[in-house]
Amino acid sequence: MMIAVGVGFSTIALAAGTQVYNPQTRTWSNYDRTAAYRYYRQHKQVPEPFRMQVVKFRTAEKPGTIIIDGNQHFLYLVQPGQQAIRYGIGVGREGFGWAGIVRVGRTAEWPTWTPPAEMVARDPNAAKWAGGQPGGPDNPLGARALYLYEGDQDTIYRIHGTPEPWTMGLDVSSGCIRMVNDDIIDLHARVQVGAKVIVLMQGAALYKGV
Amino acid sequence: MNNATDRQSGAGRGLIAISLFLSSVLAACQSSPTPDQMTRTAVETAPADLQLICANAAAQSRGVDTATVLPTSSRKLDARTYQVQLNASGTTMNCVVDDQGMVSSVTAA
Repeated sequence: MMIAVGVGFSTIALAAGTQVYNPQTRTWSNYDRTAAYRYYRQHKQVPEPFRMQVVKFRTAEKPGTIIIDGNQHFLYLVQPGQQAIRYGIGVGREGFGWAGIVRVGRTAEWPTWTPPAEMVARDPNAAKWAGGQPGGPDNPLGARALYLYEGDQDTIYRIHGTPEPWTMGLDVSSGCIRMVNDDIIDLHARVQVGAKVIVLMQGAALYKGV
Repeated sequence: MNNATDRQSGAGRGLIAISLFLSSVLAACQSSPTPDQMTRTAVETAPADLQLICANAAAQSRGVDTATVLPTSSRKLDARTYQVQLNASGTTMNCVVDDQGMVSSVTAA
């Protein structure tokens, strides 16, 4: 079942307005696409909060459950002992965010990317891959993909790697959840097909699976 | 006249020095966020685990499966408390939870 609802304290899509703390200067600075790219070029990795780390996570959800906080740009993989592995993510840009409860329907290594018909129609770069772009370092799906299903139906949304690792912490995608390739490889190795996936996204207009 | 100006100027420099001293003391007292908290967003939502604790509490109060309750929005009420709004199979509910995960209320909106 897919329903569109308008509930919440505010029904407007909320801009991320992400800021990152610099411990050297003890200041917060805006983290937009330009700042993210500059940081990645300088440090060859994303800022510390968006790197894989184990955090405290109080939940009744079973270990192996994936919880995505689209507003804060984190993906949590629930572990035993009230802990989770936290990864940085990039999420859907304004108008492309969604929320819901789905599951991992299948997974793939170095997946083929097939652009949707509307993307083929508007984007010449996508048009050349209308028949499918083979997996590889330039493929938009990156090293691994977890295909999200609602019941037995493919939602068309995926958790996947990316050739643009600097986009963690940003609202950039068309609704997919993107991760640094090393992180999606790690997550893929830990996740079982069938795992529950809870997507939290304040201001999303589209809800799936609830 | 000149003496008065000098006194005013001296007092001004004194105030500036005191202000700088106090601001440096206050800056030294401010603690840096821990590495896992070195990011923030314009809208301060409740941490994901607290949102799901509320969803679990709402599901229990309605006697339904947790898979039918989804947090849809949240906000900070004060330094230690969050309000979480939930969609429970189409019904809107409100939950108040503290930063330790203690739910103080679950009500229909």
